[in-house]
Amino acid sequence: MGDNGSSQPLIELQNVNRFFRQGRTRVQVLQNINLAVAENEILCLVGESGCGKTTTGRIMVGLLEPSSGEVRYRGRPVNTLRGKDRAEYRRALQIIHQDPFASLNPAHTVGQILAFPLQRHRMAEGRGGVRRRIWELLTLVDLTPPGDIVNKYPHQLSGGQRQRVSVARALTVNPRLIVADEAVSMVDVSIRISLLKMLHRLRDEYGIAIVFITHDLALAKYFAWEGRIAVMYLGRIVELGPTPDIISRPAHPYTRALISAIPEADPQITRSKQRMVLRSEDIPSLLEIPPGCAFHPRCPFFVEGVCDTQLPTLEKVPDGSQYAACTPLTRGQELRLYGS
Amino acid sequence: MSISDSTILSVQDVSISYLAHRGKVRAVSRVSFDLHQGESLALIGESGCGKSTLNLGIIRLLPKTGRIDQGKILYTTRDGRVVDVLGLSEREMREFRWAECAMVFQAALNSLNPVIRVRDMVYDTAQAHGRHDRVQIRKRMLELFRRVRLDPERVFNAYPHELSGGMRQRVLLALGVLLNPQVVILDEPTTAVDILTQRTILEVLRELRAAMGFSIIFISHDLSIAAEMADTVATMYAGEIVEIGPVEELFYRPRHAYTLGLLEAVPKLSVGAQELVSIPGSPPDLIEPPPGCKFHPRCPFVTERCRREPPPLVEEAPGHRVACFESARVLAHSQPVR
Repeated sequence: MGDNGSSQPLIELQNVNRFFRQGRTRVQVLQNINLAVAENEILCLVGESGCGKTTTGRIMVGLLEPSSGEVRYRGRPVNTLRGKDRAEYRRALQIIHQDPFASLNPAHTVGQILAFPLQRHRMAEGRGGVRRRIWELLTLVDLTPPGDIVNKYPHQLSGGQRQRVSVARALTVNPRLIVADEAVSMVDVSIRISLLKMLHRLRDEYGIAIVFITHDLALAKYFAWEGRIAVMYLGRIVELGPTPDIISRPAHPYTRALISAIPEADPQITRSKQRMVLRSEDIPSLLEIPPGCAFHPRCPFFVEGVCDTQLPTLEKVPDGSQYAACTPLTRGQELRLYGS
Repeated sequence: MSISDSTILSVQDVSISYLAHRGKVRAVSRVSFDLHQGESLALIGESGCGKSTLNLGIIRLLPKTGRIDQGKILYTTRDGRVVDVLGLSEREMREFRWAECAMVFQAALNSLNPVIRVRDMVYDTAQAHGRHDRVQIRKRMLELFRRVRLDPERVFNAYPHELSGGMRQRVLLALGVLLNPQVVILDEPTTAVDILTQRTILEVLRELRAAMGFSIIFISHDLSIAAEMADTVATMYAGEIVEIGPVEELFYRPRHAYTLGLLEAVPKLSVGAQELVSIPGSPPDLIEPPPGCKFHPRCPFVTERCRREPPPLVEEAPGHRVACFESARVLAHSQPVR
């Protein structure tokens, strides 16, 4: 949905559902996710904790399987891929995790961390070739001079440097898409931007697509300005579209609530911002997802008999370029405050 | 001991260090500021800049390896006496914490005892502070829970695990102000909570403050929270306050290169496509900090003088003090941006 028509998406999720077991109960963490990422695209998944954004990312790269529905890599269902094709898919999609302290083996040097996938996947010839490629990769992620870094252990590096090593490791296998899961949220504010710029550069120079998962809408706005944002709530995509539209003309009430709630790094703007008042402050449990639109118990524009009974589907917003899952909205009704 | 009329807390020339294997870590160096009646002061800065250490120092809850090397922390009691917090006995200190100056920690899960109900924790803590009238405490606690938009009865009788992160943070906030303190210190009050929950916490905090009139010191790495909540903002870098001033001064007319750098690194939602820049390099080693201005190795405005001489904190505009030799150039650079 919403991709560039003719070109085949790199990766596509179709009607993906995912359940987790919690004792005897079944928790649905993803419900009917349809999402395609094109080559060279930037897509941000945003939402609050528990909305399913990380699960979506993990399903994309094949770390998790959907409970039902299909994942397609260049048009082919990934569960039918075998042998070389499967290896290609797994190489083409890489993930960078949130915590650079946990995702690098503390007993290996940076050189070893990068050499292992290069040798395992035969991405470089001989010891000289591996060494040359490590030097290239470290330069690519701005860890220069590489000679100073290559023999260091993760604990000798700062959080930002570690995250650069994670990116270099993802690059060892020449991926086509990198899923960056909260990749800068543990990095200090002053150096976040340089990491994001590096990811942008990788996209520009090597055509790598990036799925950027974050809870920080301002960061998503900056990073995906030329791409798309998907807003998730309780396991569903509630709004999807080009970033500038989502940010400046959000359609779904949940997106509007998020945008109105965010404090901004500008005293006058943040103190004069219109804040949307929700009907409830309680986030429903995934064990008891409200019927109909999952946001209806909190939504100020709740329409009785519609929102609480009908499951909204992601549809084009009238006079907007984005898609939203809000029945009154996509039917073209004017949203009115509940009870007014 | 001198202290102006409306000043509730005056931190004067305070240095704090930790003993580590490699040597002495100078976590806070010669920090001074005044907190006035009803004022909200934000300490901003990156991890390791000393903002949490400074606040732990104020309530004297530093870990064993930490030491306050010098300085005074003058506090004005309700009856107008001025006391030096660093000179209080352990018994007096217990009364000072919470009843005079309350600290609300981040990571609300770790600050609540998981095996007892909220009400027992309330009674226990109140008792430890010499408040034995349970009926009175219960009444006041329920009233405060209502104020922070919690279901009073339910929360009072709940175990911490039955509450969400945002609810726990509000419980801590209500608990913090139970004894009607004059100063409330909040350490990253909304870190690790969701956006809509954060909004609730900010609003509840604003309402409580308006109703009770306490002063606030809050620590945040998030500039947008400071922009919204603070009257005064202090930027900390490598253990020092490098700039302090009224919130609009600091955000619209920053005079220190580090403050400017932070502002240029933070995306804003309401502005279209943005050109942002990171600050090069990383914070210095506090065991052997660089000579001169500690920010000089990362500073785009650096001169020879900055490498030699530490800049003093000088008042350059009303209430706006900055420790930077090149503040005029920083200010000039910051102007076209806004």
